[in-house]
Amino acid sequence: MQKKWLGLGMSLILATVIAGCSGNDSNGNGASATNGPSEGTKATPTAEANKPPVTLKYWTDDRHDQEYINEMINKFNETNEDNIKVELTVMSENYAQSVDIAFSSNQAPDVLRLKGANTPVFFKKGYLEPIDGFLTDDIKAKFDKVILDGVNRFDDKVYSLANNGQTLRLVYNKDLFAKAGIENPPASLQEMVDAAKKITEAGKSEGVYGFALNFKNPKSAFDRSIREILSLSGHQGLGFDLKTGQFDFAPYSQVIEYFKQMYADGSILPGAESLDIDPLRAQFAAGKIGMYLSFSTEPGVYKDQFPTEINWGGALAPTIDGQIKGKSEIVSAGTWLGISAQSANKEAAWTFMQYMYGDEILKSYHEKGFGIAVVPAIVEQAANPDINGMEGFLVGEHDSIWPVAPTVTPEGANYADAFFKYVLAGGDLQAITTDLNARYNDALSKAVEKGEVSVTPNPAFDPTKPQG
Amino acid sequence: MNLKWKRFGENSLFLSPSIILTAVLGVYPLIWMLRYMFYDYVGYGEPLFIGLENFRRVMRDGLFWESVGNTFIYAGGKLVITLPISLLLAVILNGKLRGGNLLRGIYFMPTIISTAVISVVFYTIFNSYNGMVNTALMKLNLVSQPVDWLGTKYAMFTLILVAVWGAVGNYMLLFLAGLQGIPQDLYESASIDGANAGRKFWNITLPMLAPVAQLVIMLAIIASLKGYESIMLITEGGPIGKTEVMYLYLYKLLFPVATGMPVEQQLGYGSAVGFVTAVIVGAITGLYFLLSRKMNKMY
Repeated sequence: MQKKWLGLGMSLILATVIAGCSGNDSNGNGASATNGPSEGTKATPTAEANKPPVTLKYWTDDRHDQEYINEMINKFNETNEDNIKVELTVMSENYAQSVDIAFSSNQAPDVLRLKGANTPVFFKKGYLEPIDGFLTDDIKAKFDKVILDGVNRFDDKVYSLANNGQTLRLVYNKDLFAKAGIENPPASLQEMVDAAKKITEAGKSEGVYGFALNFKNPKSAFDRSIREILSLSGHQGLGFDLKTGQFDFAPYSQVIEYFKQMYADGSILPGAESLDIDPLRAQFAAGKIGMYLSFSTEPGVYKDQFPTEINWGGALAPTIDGQIKGKSEIVSAGTWLGISAQSANKEAAWTFMQYMYGDEILKSYHEKGFGIAVVPAIVEQAANPDINGMEGFLVGEHDSIWPVAPTVTPEGANYADAFFKYVLAGGDLQAITTDLNARYNDALSKAVEKGEVSVTPNPAFDPTKPQG
Repeated sequence: MNLKWKRFGENSLFLSPSIILTAVLGVYPLIWMLRYMFYDYVGYGEPLFIGLENFRRVMRDGLFWESVGNTFIYAGGKLVITLPISLLLAVILNGKLRGGNLLRGIYFMPTIISTAVISVVFYTIFNSYNGMVNTALMKLNLVSQPVDWLGTKYAMFTLILVAVWGAVGNYMLLFLAGLQGIPQDLYESASIDGANAGRKFWNITLPMLAPVAQLVIMLAIIASLKGYESIMLITEGGPIGKTEVMYLYLYKLLFPVATGMPVEQQLGYGSAVGFVTAVIVGAITGLYFLLSRKMNKMY
């Protein structure tokens, strides 16, 4: 009998604990890691009396700006007159999968963070609501220059608006360059190879090497380096020829030869084949790497994540022959927030979006160094971010957004894996290039046939004026 | 009759949680996978029936077959090193050893540590630029420059070492359980007959342990063929596919790592690869059972 009571008691305690842990979500979802409105946050009494309360879920995978965005959301929750409350959920690498699951189980967020990489896929999956109906003439005029097909506009409908983008630069250690007797960052790939060799010769005994990239994931490594080298050299950075509307990896293969040379010279940090980007940054911050190429997130990284005493800077990427024949591509530009097609509160979601796209927020986003502004009206009025190293990454005369290249999934190895294999193990570069062209163009024609992508060759495309 | 039905009802009630979970989380997705392997499907849009095309693609997919080869090297290396060490440790710890229980706990500990933690620790030990192994080797003047333990030459060897470290304690415990089931009288009789330790091991321990060993080896084979977590975390299958094993290859098809550009899930092709992979693992396990059937009848 005693045991029975004990069992009953334990069950009650367990039930209470489970109920206590399940939390209380106004939408009935026990979402974790949610940064809801601050306690005591209330809309104005008049608004509450007039309008029914609406709770919006906003999901993002941005962590670097979390504090600032949270602050802006709290302000919105306190000041908006439509009785809207926004709940921010910050996710990590599982963002795309979480969004998939949310949409398939009808628990989608109302507002989503959209990036260059996920927007076309989310559009194809039918997750996004067109926002054309909400766009006023003023907003259209403000964002007109950065409404781009395949980026934020699909089938003549707009799904997101631009905020910021990422520039890509050569990141170099000025002290190591000086120690090796090199005055300027390299302008050509041959200069880059020579500089890497000199830096290694001068510092190898102390574990210093001239060059490194995060080759654990070759695509991530090349998409932050060769992409930029190619665009400045006058070629699309992911192997697509915008003039013919076909893939052509011949320019890519030219660049690869220089990377192979750096490996042969022993100028690349040993173990770079298994290096992730953060361990690479830690080694750079420790003064062990002469140079690498990466995004404009690096100044923020060396300010907060890996604070460093070294004297470093960002410079334009080198080009194939030292001549600038194209604009350096600004990536991840053109998208920021989007509205879910499943949202029951699209009007409210737009009200929130409109608030976030206000001049003040976009301006401070740039000034605080979370991203580089690409909306012309904001670029004009925003001050430069006061972060060490950021001056090398700011948008200048050589930077521009490029037309989007189609994304296809070919059979077999992707271009980065195939070329990295050549760098490490050698082989017939011509044959590798021909094979890549054949496989990528085959995948492209199948994707066009299925209606997944559309390609319009532009024989008049000018890489010095990628936006026409 | 009533008692029979009552028993049936009770049994069903007790079995229902696992039956429901297996049906929902195991059988239902399996049915979908068996369907999708005949379709071109990337996770959205209308799946397109393409018959056996996915299987034809598997046959001509050089990367997949390379990963199968790598799996055999990885699994073979892991088994050849792990099983003898596990057995040896089990035999030693089965004796009256001071601190035996503590040692059992220590050897078993890697089994309960998260793979992510193990992977980060081993990356710190083996990375080329400031790893502990290289630092020690260079301080002892055994090498003049860092050895690239995770490079093309040694990455697989390093990953096998990680796998061995993680598995030895687990199989040791299973062998130990088997050893404790061997009657002590046999050893006592052998001692009276003048058998030495080696003879006892060869003529008593090994034959008596055979049925347990058969099961342990089978579990070890399956686990080795399916293992990919630490590889994913330490090398991601690289460099240049040298450590890509078949389950990692499959994982990347179904859960692509998107960096910079979107990469689409290949649910149709991934299902076909998953099926072929399961057939390979099943065939090897079946073959092992066939070849090892005598182990079950050794005493």
